[in-house]
Amino acid sequence: MTAGYHLLVKRLLDGELTLAELPPELRAEGEEALGLVGAADRAPVALSPALEERVMATVRRHAASSQAASLGNRAWRWLNTPRDVQVRLRVRPWTVWAGVLAAAAALALLLGRPTPQAVPGAQARGGVRDSVLVRFVLYAPGAHRVAVAGTFNQWDRGAAPLVPAGRSGVWTTTLALPVGQHQYAFVVDGARWVADPGAPAVDDGFGRRNSIVAVTAQGARL
Amino acid sequence: VKTIRIALTLVLGAALAGGLAAQDVPTRLDGRVSPEVRHAVQGIAADAAAHGLPVDPLVQKAIEGAAKGVPGDRVIAAVRALAGRLAEAMEAVRQGGVAAPSEEVVEGGADALNAGISGRQVSDLVRVSQPPHDPALTLRVAATLAALGVPAKQTLQLVQEMISAGRSPSDLLGLPGQVQAGVARGATPAQAAAGLARAAGGAPPGRLPDWVPPGQRKPRNPHKP
Repeated sequence: MTAGYHLLVKRLLDGELTLAELPPELRAEGEEALGLVGAADRAPVALSPALEERVMATVRRHAASSQAASLGNRAWRWLNTPRDVQVRLRVRPWTVWAGVLAAAAALALLLGRPTPQAVPGAQARGGVRDSVLVRFVLYAPGAHRVAVAGTFNQWDRGAAPLVPAGRSGVWTTTLALPVGQHQYAFVVDGARWVADPGAPAVDDGFGRRNSIVAVTAQGARL
Repeated sequence: VKTIRIALTLVLGAALAGGLAAQDVPTRLDGRVSPEVRHAVQGIAADAAAHGLPVDPLVQKAIEGAAKGVPGDRVIAAVRALAGRLAEAMEAVRQGGVAAPSEEVVEGGADALNAGISGRQVSDLVRVSQPPHDPALTLRVAATLAALGVPAKQTLQLVQEMISAGRSPSDLLGLPGQVQAGVARGATPAQAAAGLARAAGGAPPGRLPDWVPPGQRKPRNPHKP
């Protein structure tokens, strides 16, 4: 209601100015505001006794319900209530040594664990070693079946078949070989043993030749 | 005395490990070779293990022979020959200064012998294989070079040249591939190896720096008219 009054009129209501001190054009507004404030009822308010009884009854009810709270609620409240705690730390020498020994044992266990390898399934003589993918290629036009057998697969003729690349006569396969030097040969149509023409070869002891592939961690080398 | 004791311990340890491996031989050969081959190879393997030689190559050779359909007596002969090569390689490696060689080194030596490198040359190769060079790797590389057709003497010179020039084991491992590349360009294995020796650190001992192997033309000097 007073929001629209001029600032000087508000100062009049606050008692900082008198009506005479207002500019003539604001005096009517000042008189109106003073009239409204003067009309307000300033008689002391007397509360009925029933109200006091109702308020006190409500307060007593709240207190009673608080006392009847569940054990869980009380426990939760106890846990959440902040309180001061005093802790005394007294270190004995044997506890320090026990800690040091436990840490050393944990470290020894950690360092003693086997190191994971690149290809866990690859097993070579002398233990598990890294493996490298090696591609074998043979040009055998007219062949019906081609496989590669060697020291890496116990010379098993059926373990590593090559796949024909269309009708070009080129057969290929890729194997994961463990690091080391391997001897091998191609098996054409299940019976004919053929050395790899693209790799060095050595006498196999049976009057034929075995090819050689050296596999390093960096890749296959001839 | 301490060194001898350590060497003896290593040799005994290797013999014990070999003995355990030899016990596994019949199981590995079961169903893969004939009973007579299995029996013979078992005896050869036990004898090899007793001398601290690796057993696995012998088993592999027997399986290989059977897979290739080779008659039993020839398989046994080949296994026996391999055992002899392994023993010769062991001796050559020891002559090269390794008292208790690993299985890999002995196998590498046997491969080198099979490729045409002599026992004395195997000893020389082991002798020059000082760290970071591993004798097993050096022997494998030499065996591969010889298998490619590089004469044994030239193989030894090339490897020695590379190591004395401070080349890394990885460089050594790349030699067979480089020889093959040279052969693919029309050079003989000997010419390709000579070119690599020149590049490694100069001409072979006793030759002028601009020496080229017989049959190979000297590169044209672009500064000459």
